[in-house]
Amino acid sequence: MINPKGIKASLYVTCIVDQLYPQVGVSVVNVLRKLGVQVEFPIDQSCCGQPLFNSGYVSEAKELALRVIESFKDSQYVVVPSASCAAMFREFYPSLFESDPQLHDIAQNFSERVYEFSEFIVEVLGVNKVNASGDGRHTFHTSCHMLRELGVKDQPLSLLDGVEGIETVDLPQREVCCGFGGTFSVKYPHISEEMLSDKVDNVLSTSCDTLVSCDMSCLMNIGGALSRNKSGISVKHLAEILDEENS
Amino acid sequence: MADIKTKSFVTASKSSIKDPQLRQALEKVGTGFDGARREAIEEISEEKWEEWRLKAREIKEHTIDNLDYYLDMLYTNVTNAGGYVHFAHDDNEANAIVSQLVEENNVKIATKSKSMVSEELGLNHVLEKLGVEVYETDLGEYIIQLAEETPSHLVAPALHKTKEQVASLFQEKLGIPYDEDIESMARTAREVLRDKFLKADLGISGANFLVAETGSLVIITNEGNGRLCTSAPRIHIGITGMEKVIPSLEDLSTFLRLLPRSATGQRLTSYVSIVTGPRRITDEDGPEQFHLIIVDNGRSKMLADPKLREALYCIRCGACLNICPVYQKVGGHAYGWVYPGPIGSIVTPNLTVLQNAKDLPFASSLCGACREACPVKINIPRMLLNLREQLVQPSDGSKSTSTFSENIAAKSYTSLMKHPSMVKLGNIMLKGLQKPFVRDGVVSSVPIPPLSIWTRSRDLPKLPDKTFHQIWENNLKDNQDTNG
Amino acid sequence: MGNPMKNLGTPKNIFLESIRDCLGKVEGPPLEQRENLSQSPDELKQLCAELRVTLDKELDVLLSDLSVSAEARGWNVHRPANVEAVLDHISDIAKIWGVTDISRSDQQVFTEYAIDSGISNLGYNITTIAHNDFPDDRTRLRNAIISSGIGITGADYAVAETGSIVILPRKGLSRLVSVVPAVHIALVRKQDILRNLDDVFLLRRLDYHLGNDMGSYLNFITGPSRTADIEQTIVIGVHGPKEVHMLLLD
Repeated sequence: MINPKGIKASLYVTCIVDQLYPQVGVSVVNVLRKLGVQVEFPIDQSCCGQPLFNSGYVSEAKELALRVIESFKDSQYVVVPSASCAAMFREFYPSLFESDPQLHDIAQNFSERVYEFSEFIVEVLGVNKVNASGDGRHTFHTSCHMLRELGVKDQPLSLLDGVEGIETVDLPQREVCCGFGGTFSVKYPHISEEMLSDKVDNVLSTSCDTLVSCDMSCLMNIGGALSRNKSGISVKHLAEILDEENS
Repeated sequence: MADIKTKSFVTASKSSIKDPQLRQALEKVGTGFDGARREAIEEISEEKWEEWRLKAREIKEHTIDNLDYYLDMLYTNVTNAGGYVHFAHDDNEANAIVSQLVEENNVKIATKSKSMVSEELGLNHVLEKLGVEVYETDLGEYIIQLAEETPSHLVAPALHKTKEQVASLFQEKLGIPYDEDIESMARTAREVLRDKFLKADLGISGANFLVAETGSLVIITNEGNGRLCTSAPRIHIGITGMEKVIPSLEDLSTFLRLLPRSATGQRLTSYVSIVTGPRRITDEDGPEQFHLIIVDNGRSKMLADPKLREALYCIRCGACLNICPVYQKVGGHAYGWVYPGPIGSIVTPNLTVLQNAKDLPFASSLCGACREACPVKINIPRMLLNLREQLVQPSDGSKSTSTFSENIAAKSYTSLMKHPSMVKLGNIMLKGLQKPFVRDGVVSSVPIPPLSIWTRSRDLPKLPDKTFHQIWENNLKDNQDTNG
Repeated sequence: MGNPMKNLGTPKNIFLESIRDCLGKVEGPPLEQRENLSQSPDELKQLCAELRVTLDKELDVLLSDLSVSAEARGWNVHRPANVEAVLDHISDIAKIWGVTDISRSDQQVFTEYAIDSGISNLGYNITTIAHNDFPDDRTRLRNAIISSGIGITGADYAVAETGSIVILPRKGLSRLVSVVPAVHIALVRKQDILRNLDDVFLLRRLDYHLGNDMGSYLNFITGPSRTADIEQTIVIGVHGPKEVHMLLLD
């Protein structure tokens, strides 16, 4: 276990948090600081390029990748509150540059410094329980990238379980895709909507107050449908839950 | 070549997704087959299962990397056992070989046990044109043959049919009274096909595996039709893809442990038949001739591309179909050709025409469940991404399939993202533009695609007053000390 | 057998050369030879001898394991103590199925368990499927199998882990006798029970690498025939036998 005091972590905030859910970024910073981490924010960071990469625009994705790698070249730890961006960095950045050994090494080096938020707390900081409290019934959706690209499964669940005062309930078919898949959701909406509908049914079946995840893209997707259904269920990133402290 | 309908993926999937009967049938596939698979794995433990998967993958990797060597060994050993091996570069050549064998041997009736490759070739039509009576004998294949349809799943080809539909089909095509009792229908099939099994001149099978060491063809079945097709007639033709070979009989046990469990959750199928040449002179029965037709038909394309090569490791278990949320919604026919689902989304574009099957690699959320379920650990999502790149930014000089507006969008997005000041500006603009669309704190309807597509069923959050960048600059960055 | 055939389609060397082009390699064996393909007949002999020692120690355990796994897979498992008990089982089955004709293979086990006169005495026709040199004899035998309500065979091996028997068709052991009739009865001797699939393949590989013929067919039979092709509903008894009986002989 590393002494959390004295660790410097750089935040990769992700487009979707920056633009649509900045409070998640704020919570990430608060939680990390609560744990004694000094947080930096390379101001010129940009989109990770995943939407381009997933759509087949690999050369454009490479341009953005080089920017990101440059922004974080001095960062010892890159903390990412999104499993899909973290997966892009870890699993795909090195292979973007396979034909150029030098760039490949740089990308490889960068990828090894990347951690998803909950992974960072548990694996790097060695913290299994964050001082936080809340109330109401919570359920957790595991994003596909988190589970199957990063291989992170139990860390966020145990962090959520450690929050005082809340009730946690298992989400049925937690590991089944919510149907977002980036541009898939608007290229094949008829299929995406069916998958989303199943996920929403499962969420509703838990009678929860809050749906939690480590991926705002999933939460934007599921949350968008929950809002349309006027379900009254709110969606929150794990960081927001860990940032809450009732007096 | 079987009819290729890959261009119609979108229309086909839109209509299949609205078919309640199909949806019900597909749900069973997920809970049934996939559930049984998980139980079978639990029975032997995740660790053991993982051990087998790694072993299987290693065997396949080694074999495919040395495919020429093992096909050569296979050829020698089949020939030594008294069989004949014919190599077919494509469907025309394969069909020509079968036609010649049929004519030279005066074949009138042929029984077939499952062969996906024969579907690729459109073999049944070829045989029928030669005046041969062809009977599919796997019950599911028999049903769709009567219905003049194509299979909708690798393992359960007629899963899209209800028992009522099968009863009507039997009534219409066999001239028997309507009876929707499932056992009764199976009995009917037994009676009708028994006669054909025993009268057939030719039995055609596929192969689950080919064993190079001994020159053997392996088929695993439950119904017994595989045994009858390969034992009762005087000629047996096995038709299979060139990637099916494995080195040794010893290697076979790893695959026999993985395939039935992955396909249906069974520990082992009712029958495993290992054919090595024709019957021997002293045998009591069995075919006098054994022919093995090894087919390429576009597989070299995947073989030649190191990024696509592992698609050839597939053992056709169907586990990826059973777990795929997309397949479960749209069913097999929407994919437009012989191979549906995740593995189909790679194989079909490569064996047909990539640009005409451009929807297949894109109609996936890349959730990765298929890779998790695959007994040979094939990295399907990776290959789908690779195919997307091939379609959008082809490196072989072929034309990109992306539209002008898609290209503009991609280029603009990239430029925008490289310039934070532009992002800031864009944000300010959008905050202004969104105003008329915001109701109760959300944006619920935007007339412009793609947002209009999104807002069909989902609300969008409204853009907050400040981005994270701004919050950081204004108040967050200086507050470094924490009280823990 | 007709005209000597030749290989049709693309010549082998051209087909294989095209594969080499795809892989970017030259002709020749793999850099790393497979361990199993490098085993000498002596090594295999040694492994089989070791296997035999292990099996001999475990025979009773294997017998009960087989009994359990076979039942789980849909075999009707019996343990007849002697040939009279074997006859009783056959007769019970024949009565239930209303059978008049029975066919059997010609295997060692039927010397030890001579059932022919017993079966005939009970009023059934029993045909041994072993051809003579008369022309058309095979046709006679095939017809006998087709009209049989029960096919009886021995088992060359049985596999405890999977609940299977293994049949190696050859002279006196027809392929069809265990698949055409609606009922198949298999007499399994304790000494032929193996642990798992690996044991079966090891023994077969030794035989093969000693220069013997693999045999045209090797059949694993694990329970009755079945299908789930209509609405995923399992039906027992499709094209193969509807009912299978395993008589475990101690």
